[in-house]
Amino acid sequence: MSATGGAGANDDLFARRILVCVGCGGVGKTTVAAAIALEAARSGRRALVITIDPARRLADALGLAALGDEPAALPPERLAQAGVPEGASLSAAMLDQKRTFDGLVERLAPDRVTRERILSNPIYQHVSDALAGSVEYSAMERVYELSQRPDFDSIVVDTPPAQHALDFLEAPQRLIEFLDSRLVHLLIHPALSAGRLGARWFQRGTQLGLRAIERLTGMGFLEDLSEFLLAFEGMAGGFRQRAERVRALLRGGNAGFVLVAGPERESVAQAQEFLARLESFEVELRGVVANRVRLWPGGGEPPDAEPRSEDVDALARALATVAPQGYPAEAAARAAVACAAGYAALVRRDARALHALHQRAVAGGRRFWRAVPELPQDVGDLTTLARVGALVAGRQETV
Amino acid sequence: MRAPVEPPPLLGRRLVLVTGKGGTGKSTLAAALASAAVDRGLRVLVAELGRDSVLPRLLALHPPRADYPEREIRPGLFAIRIDPFEALAEYLGLEIGMRGLARRLLANRGFRQLLEAAPGWRELIELGKVWHLEQMREGGRPRFDLIVVDAPATGHGLSFLDVPRVVISAVRAGPLRHHTEQVEALLHDAARTLVLPVSLAEELPARETCALVARVRELGLPVDRVVVNGLRARPVSTSLGDLAALLERVPRDAAAGLPAPSVLAACVRAQSERHALGEHYRREIAERTGLPIVPLPYLPDGIRGPQDIAALAESVLAEPRAEAA
Repeated sequence: MSATGGAGANDDLFARRILVCVGCGGVGKTTVAAAIALEAARSGRRALVITIDPARRLADALGLAALGDEPAALPPERLAQAGVPEGASLSAAMLDQKRTFDGLVERLAPDRVTRERILSNPIYQHVSDALAGSVEYSAMERVYELSQRPDFDSIVVDTPPAQHALDFLEAPQRLIEFLDSRLVHLLIHPALSAGRLGARWFQRGTQLGLRAIERLTGMGFLEDLSEFLLAFEGMAGGFRQRAERVRALLRGGNAGFVLVAGPERESVAQAQEFLARLESFEVELRGVVANRVRLWPGGGEPPDAEPRSEDVDALARALATVAPQGYPAEAAARAAVACAAGYAALVRRDARALHALHQRAVAGGRRFWRAVPELPQDVGDLTTLARVGALVAGRQETV
Repeated sequence: MRAPVEPPPLLGRRLVLVTGKGGTGKSTLAAALASAAVDRGLRVLVAELGRDSVLPRLLALHPPRADYPEREIRPGLFAIRIDPFEALAEYLGLEIGMRGLARRLLANRGFRQLLEAAPGWRELIELGKVWHLEQMREGGRPRFDLIVVDAPATGHGLSFLDVPRVVISAVRAGPLRHHTEQVEALLHDAARTLVLPVSLAEELPARETCALVARVRELGLPVDRVVVNGLRARPVSTSLGDLAALLERVPRDAAAGLPAPSVLAACVRAQSERHALGEHYRREIAERTGLPIVPLPYLPDGIRGPQDIAALAESVLAEPRAEAA
């Protein structure tokens, strides 16, 4: 392992204070986020990683087992072992999205009564999971909050897994639209809205629809719903304001995105979709990390020539000289060659699968592309995490 | 009434709900199961929830898109994408004779926005539609022998299956409560229904699968096996011992036409370690859920089309293996 190159490569990576790691589930996004944060610390910064649902071994490596919402610093002596200089630090926080959302309601509610009414409303119990991506939204809200503190030079964010994983970018807008919708007003102030709403048909239809729902559900649901919306209405302004600020933060010069992809077919296809959508969101994509890629040992291209039988025989003879008496050296040589051929096929497959994504990611020359090899184990210690981080920062060519 | 006996085999159920963490191969498993059932002469319906439809492409070469209502994509094999708005319009139409009004209402932007934001109803109406499809009769027998649902990813999957219970507890009276009780009864009937979790042999999916199974049991839903997808074959027979270590002791130039012995060793090691890791999590899932495992092999290129699904179909029906303690 050789650490080559100076500060240049990772200074570029950390030119933006906030790095948001996006990608579909199961590609090791959380690991990459933690690795980038550790690399930020190793380059002398006070770094923070905000994770959502770390794997146990990674959580252990970060000392996250007992952690929650509030950033906690890793012990300096452990960081020093991983090459973090004095003055730099790494903190980690694990988001409890439901709690974040509750906290937001608590802060925005105009008074204690409203707050209690919302938090105890049966609709709210389910709504924080469903209200127009509010869970995804609250993750970004927390990022905004932490970014306002002067304690961190570099903040790396792991994003929630979602079927359409950029939901969190759209969530603030959807929340605003929902709160602004005429229907919400109608539900809250049926009498008051009657005169104002030009669309009489809309109103008649809606009332019929609501009556149908009442017939189906019995009365309770609608009562709960309108009470919930009424209580929520007072907070609409606060939500709107904060959502606008989150939006501005993500699109501004302080934030950059890192797309994490795996070599599997579905993962590559989704990464392509991500690229397009990130572009349409007008956020800054810094680069793409292809994670868990099978790379040929020692670098370079895998051989694709069929092994000659005399070479296999030669290997068998060599194995026989180092193996104990009676070892099936011929079978072993064939197995080794077959194993290498199998692995070579996987290496070529991954390269093929990632080719188009690679081309597209680096088109224009502004974005980085990093391939992180598949590791034999789940990342469970800071040393391995540091190697992954160095690779992502472009500081080191092999793990 | 007969005493409870062995649960029926996989294809003896009416409804199989395939669920698991995102990316574990839910759609692959749903397609393979449906394919195996059709090959045995059953009339099968695959139901997709959510915005995207992938199952028809896995099951037929040039299929029509799955849509609402169901359509036949191969002889005996039907596909539907349960659009909650369509299903709601249908339900309102059937229930209160307001189909036309319901459609207009659902076309209204404001009303749609409210529904987009409202919790729970989607899941409920989707499950209600599944129940409705299970009830359909044709020529004196069920219209579909087997319904395979490609259920949402686990995070949502858990709340998905819990919605009927929540609705029953929240809705005090009315037709909705009555219908929901029927849905709930179907979901809990081990003779008709099976929740089929699928996992990868990796840390996070394994953990999530164990949590899923625990939750499914808590909810009293039938589950009797776990499918573990993407298991790598043992690369080198155990009779060859630590082949990688031996290769590392072979002189560099022993076989000039082959990759260096250290490279061969790295290949053996990489594949052996991945295999071992998979076996580790497979055992962990078996131990922590107490359920037998149905193993599915790792396919480096994923599923490219119906031919790959057909190749998997028999493995899906294999009797699950109880892991040796």
